[in-house]
Amino acid sequence: MAQIEKKAGLLRRTSSSKKPLKEKVVLMYDEIFAKEDPTKNNPRFWDELFLMKVNLEYLEGKLESLDGDEVMKIKDNINSLFHHCVQALGEEHQIKVVNALQTLCALFRGVHQKNKSATGFDIINMLMGFDKAELRMKELMESLDSLLCGDGSESLKSLCLKLLLCLVTVTDNISQNTILEYVMINSIFEAILRILSDVSSRAQHGYDAVVLLALLVNYRKYESVNPYIVKLSIVDDEPTLDGMGMVIHHALTEYNRQYKDKEEENQGGFFSTLSSMVGSMFIADADEKLSVQTNEAILLALYEAVHLNRNFITVLAQSHPEIEMATTPATPVPASPTTPLGTTPPSLDSELFFCAHLTIDFLCVFSDEHRLNSARLCLIILTCIAEDQYADAFLHDDNMNFRVNLHRMPMRHRKKAADKSIPSRPLVCAVLDLMVEFIITHMMKEFPMDLYVRCVQIIHKLICYQKKCRIRMHYTWRELWSALINLLKFLLSNETILLAKHNIFQLALQVVNLFNMFITYGDTFLPTPSSYDELYYEIIRMHQVFENLYCMVLRVSTNAGQWKEPASKVTHALVNVRAIINHFNPKIESYAAVNHISQLSEDQVLEVVRSNYDTLTLKLQDGLDQFERYSEQPREAGFFKELVRSISLNVRKNVSLSTMSQDVLLKEFSSIS
Amino acid sequence: MGDTELELSPAQLEELQKSPSASSTSTTSSLSLPSSPSSGPRPLTSSSPSTSEGLPTSSPPLDVISEGVGELSLVIDTEVAKKACQEVLQKVKFLKADGEVSSASSEPVLVNGTAHPLSTDGGKPPKISEEEAEPVKNVRRRQKNNSSKQSWLLRLFESKLFDISMGISYLYNSKEPGVQAYIGNRLFSFRNEEVDFYLPQLLNMYIHMDEDVGDAIKPYVVHRCRQSINFSLQCAWLLGAYSSDMHISTQRHSRGTKLRKLILSDELKPSSQRIRREVPQPPPSCPPPLHHGQGMSEHSLSPSKRTHQRSKSDATISISLSSNLKRTASNPKVETSQDEPVRLTPQREFIKSLMGIGKRLATLPTKEQKTQRLISELSLLNHKLPARVWLPTAAFDHHVVRVPHTQAVVLNSKDKAPYLIYVEVLECENFETSSVPVRIPETQIRSTRSVENLPNCGISPDQRASSFSTVPNYDNDDEAWSVDDIGELQVELPEIHTNSCDNISQFSVDSITSQESKEPIFIAAGDIRRRLSEQLAHTPTTFKRDPEDPSAVALKEPWQEKVRRIREGSPYGHLPNWRLLSVIVKCGDDLRQELLAYQVLKQLQIIWEQERVPLWIKPYKILVISSDSGMIEPVVNAVSIHQVKKQSQLSLLDYFRQEHGNYNTEEFLTAQRNFVQSCAGYCLICYLLQVKDRHNGNILLDSEGHIIHIDFGFILSSSPRNLGFETSAFKLTSEFVDVMGGLDGDMFNYYKMLMLQGLIAARKHMEKVVQIVEIMQQGSQLPCFHGSSTIRNLKERFHMNLTEEQLQVLVEQMVDGSMRSITTKLYDGFQYLTNGIM
Repeated sequence: MAQIEKKAGLLRRTSSSKKPLKEKVVLMYDEIFAKEDPTKNNPRFWDELFLMKVNLEYLEGKLESLDGDEVMKIKDNINSLFHHCVQALGEEHQIKVVNALQTLCALFRGVHQKNKSATGFDIINMLMGFDKAELRMKELMESLDSLLCGDGSESLKSLCLKLLLCLVTVTDNISQNTILEYVMINSIFEAILRILSDVSSRAQHGYDAVVLLALLVNYRKYESVNPYIVKLSIVDDEPTLDGMGMVIHHALTEYNRQYKDKEEENQGGFFSTLSSMVGSMFIADADEKLSVQTNEAILLALYEAVHLNRNFITVLAQSHPEIEMATTPATPVPASPTTPLGTTPPSLDSELFFCAHLTIDFLCVFSDEHRLNSARLCLIILTCIAEDQYADAFLHDDNMNFRVNLHRMPMRHRKKAADKSIPSRPLVCAVLDLMVEFIITHMMKEFPMDLYVRCVQIIHKLICYQKKCRIRMHYTWRELWSALINLLKFLLSNETILLAKHNIFQLALQVVNLFNMFITYGDTFLPTPSSYDELYYEIIRMHQVFENLYCMVLRVSTNAGQWKEPASKVTHALVNVRAIINHFNPKIESYAAVNHISQLSEDQVLEVVRSNYDTLTLKLQDGLDQFERYSEQPREAGFFKELVRSISLNVRKNVSLSTMSQDVLLKEFSSIS
Repeated sequence: MGDTELELSPAQLEELQKSPSASSTSTTSSLSLPSSPSSGPRPLTSSSPSTSEGLPTSSPPLDVISEGVGELSLVIDTEVAKKACQEVLQKVKFLKADGEVSSASSEPVLVNGTAHPLSTDGGKPPKISEEEAEPVKNVRRRQKNNSSKQSWLLRLFESKLFDISMGISYLYNSKEPGVQAYIGNRLFSFRNEEVDFYLPQLLNMYIHMDEDVGDAIKPYVVHRCRQSINFSLQCAWLLGAYSSDMHISTQRHSRGTKLRKLILSDELKPSSQRIRREVPQPPPSCPPPLHHGQGMSEHSLSPSKRTHQRSKSDATISISLSSNLKRTASNPKVETSQDEPVRLTPQREFIKSLMGIGKRLATLPTKEQKTQRLISELSLLNHKLPARVWLPTAAFDHHVVRVPHTQAVVLNSKDKAPYLIYVEVLECENFETSSVPVRIPETQIRSTRSVENLPNCGISPDQRASSFSTVPNYDNDDEAWSVDDIGELQVELPEIHTNSCDNISQFSVDSITSQESKEPIFIAAGDIRRRLSEQLAHTPTTFKRDPEDPSAVALKEPWQEKVRRIREGSPYGHLPNWRLLSVIVKCGDDLRQELLAYQVLKQLQIIWEQERVPLWIKPYKILVISSDSGMIEPVVNAVSIHQVKKQSQLSLLDYFRQEHGNYNTEEFLTAQRNFVQSCAGYCLICYLLQVKDRHNGNILLDSEGHIIHIDFGFILSSSPRNLGFETSAFKLTSEFVDVMGGLDGDMFNYYKMLMLQGLIAARKHMEKVVQIVEIMQQGSQLPCFHGSSTIRNLKERFHMNLTEEQLQVLVEQMVDGSMRSITTKLYDGFQYLTNGIM
């Protein structure tokens, strides 16, 4: 057998120089594509075929070159090839298994590339034949399942996952991939979980497994019942969920590390910054895109896990030292973390940290479509997290402090945050910082309205939680207030441009209602009485913005038009803010007049505020502490469809089946015979 | 040679005279022929040992003895009494003339069934008697010389005054194998808890003293090991720790190591399954299984329901969940109670993993990293709980069900990484036989905490209904997210009200109800502001979070508050037998000295209580696991004076006023009295034990004003780095005196008076204290025993030869000396410079 291999290799090498000599395997492929039954001449044809190294390009190319009618003529042979591939998976001989897996992959791909127009049923018929399809796929899935769960070689498992990824991504739109119907019936969910729960296999195949799962969950998500969704939503085995969390965690860590490295390179003075920036515009683009895109898949996996499985939140809240405890009752080995990436020290930060961190990375520099998608996905994930009580409890846990390094975009009017010593605080502070950061950095012409709405919603949800549970975060709320006021200012000054595209009143209403939360329920979650005073100070200081806003919404609401209704809502919401302004401004003026001061200091204003609370009456507004819960359908369905499509394309491009492990595999298995 | 045996301590003598039974015997009987009635009834009561067979409960025997003495001595006919006495006397005189007689005659002496299992054990007793038969000749020879002493001794042994402390003392001092063997047998008649206190002494004697002592002790230890897993492990740990000072070569073959191996090999199971059968696995005895049962059945029966809540699927679709999920085993792993072959293993593994965490933490450079690592390691540990494991420092039987990992803190230490964990346990009848609780996943908190499961939360049903009905459900996509989350958001509110009784939250209810009545509601801004400041005023003072000192905040939080908080967040919190414990895990530290200090403190506490001296000290429990690891029971509601000063930036007196109110308030005066009583107690302790390294990080202040000294790493003959600092008798800073009301105050005089009374009381019972230390000196390399004069110096510090007037002068001198002592101040300065401790 080894001889054949050698021969094949020899032939191929020479074939590049001398053209017409063909590999034996290629000849055998040709036999398949002839209409004759290949076993006629050689009864051991299939046995021999799988002993030979697969020539993927040739096989795929051959399939591609056939048109519909031609294919129908050799359908029997292809069916039989498929059938024998599936049978070969059960072989003891690992080489055969490897070759069969690769052949299958080539089959799936070749058939799909060719028949872009063909329906899913045609493809199934072509590959397996209608009558046999169910049986064949059952056999295939069972074989894959047992390969993935068995104690066999890791490379084989990896190949199985690649095949599955390949199968899942052969169509642009995953929901049109009819073959997946069989993957739904013959679930490999348990095999995926198995991989994730085991430490060593998780390290090697975790990424593929998680991506595969994320994609499978998205198969006909909205039209039918997807068993993967059902199963994912009820997993409660902690080691497995932990494993999934860890895989996602490592992928995100890796991304963040890359980003940070890049950023740190840039700290060599103005000129080098400038030059490398310009340079990276041209060079870094390609590979950066790649890393961003691969992370879309991971983010999608994170989203699905967070959204579907409530137990996952608890995992999310935990951190992951990759240490196997107590399973080895021998004397504890002096901390030898087996982190899959090797480069990172036993990282202990939580998932959320990375989610947050990642978001800012995306947000600060997003420019193209992909970044926008990623940012949106990150905000959706944060929305889900902010809605979950357990996650909220974790975010607000005073005992769990993290040092979160948010990337702050250098801006004209502020110094780049020089102090590296960020205090370690509960994570919610980091999330709020992130939101503030987003708000002040993205007031641009191409206004990302959707992201802003989400952002303000996240803040609202967090505050609702704090109000409900009476949690007083020691957070500098002032930064949030001034960011929100600046946002209103931006909306006002760009009214005409923005109104053409967006409903700015919805966002304005949300912002004003955030202020209403602080004004009427501040006693339940503000850290100190003086922070309540500061709130008033900030409103009074920026009264012009609120007054302008009121004028604007009043104007719009009196005119008939599509914005009449939303604008009038804002006028109603402004009632308390206006009451505050109208109450205190005269008092401050008279204070200034009495004391002959032209410009009051902050302390003096606060003094006036403190002494005049009692004569101010506020109106209690309804439903301030209630919010619309996140729901994927119907609002987000389109987004996710597009996202999955882009991920599919990307994964398909990057599944490197042929190059990957061929050499490794051969080395591993050639010794067997 | 027999001198020591007759040398009764003054306290013993005094008691002997005071005791009615003893005095009556001394008047009626001659020295040589003791017809003490106290010994009479014993054989009678023990004549039916079979009735108390089985699980020997520990308390009855004592009652039997005392009652027997009290009542029966009056009723019983003198003839019988005499006969019985002679029997006993006979036994001691001709101790083990031959094996059979001894075992026959020794049996009646053992008052109750405790000894019974031993004698029915099959195989065991003959072996013992064989060994004991050898030294008989010696015994007889000696007997002739000291027959009079012996009878005195016997009377003492038989008297009801003879307690475990005396027993230990005679076991240690007596050179008579007969006496030792007799006491070895008598151990069975003491309550388990009494003997447990002296377990370190017993085992240390077993390891380091001659064979006779060892042989006398072994049967008892083996017997107890058979009964209890906890005792087995305690013994194994102590044996390991106290053998560690031996030379490696001798250690391997020493008796201690052999016994340890025997215990750990788990051969010392209950001799038959009799005990187990007698206490059948009690299914309905404890409520938690019932609750669990409900939870579990709900859980397992309705996977499709849960699916429905969260996923996109229709519940109507029948996906064969059960068949597909079989491999993932989504059910939590329930440890069924098939732990017969691994009696000791779960607990040993639990302890081992706690120690492992400590070791790994020590490798990390910063406190912050340590804390994060600790939390994540504990979260993994949680996956393995509940299990048949327990905290040995607790006073009741329980199973550990969860470690609230986010609450754990790393304690302040320079190079080691001691840490404090809180442990949720479920109390049970017997941790060996009660079934291990079923695991409840973290996420189940929501359902377990819902109002339905809290029977007494004080909300009427219609109230609840109203809060439900007014909640608008915005979610059109109601399959994606379960509705109950929203419902719960509102339902929880009233629950908080009833608990905290604040008025603010009416507000939120208003906001809901206002939807019904369309009239606008007006509120005053001033009210909001006022509520905010009132709210904050009511919360107790907390410490600010400091990443360099993470334990300060955790320790400052009142214990009850913490228990409530953790209980709310725990999936097990709703169970009635839920308890919270805490423990400090020390890794890399030798706790043997701590244990010794604990014993001495405990002994002194008992003495002072007995003598009615209102000194206050707080001995905290120590668990020695090996010579370099162990656990400590934390003192709750207490923070170190260092932390107090650093956080509050106040003098101690001002801090007292901040916490307890101004002078002359009831609270302040109580706190001050507590301070004085504890201060006097610990000053005496510090003096007697020569406790060093007394910087403010090692002195705690509890919420009632008591001070508590911790860290007894430097006692008796050792002091830190032998720098010669801290030459004063104890630490008494001017700040302490200020809290006591100054040098001229009444409280300061009270303080000195307490010290005098305490010293007098301690002196009276010196032997009890000294023997604890003396026995542990055997074979020990501990620094506190450095030098040859440790015990002599210790005895001298009791000043037996001084009159009370002289003692008073001594106390005055010590107080003055300590006050003026520059070394205390110097030492604090030194600590500040080197360790940053204020």
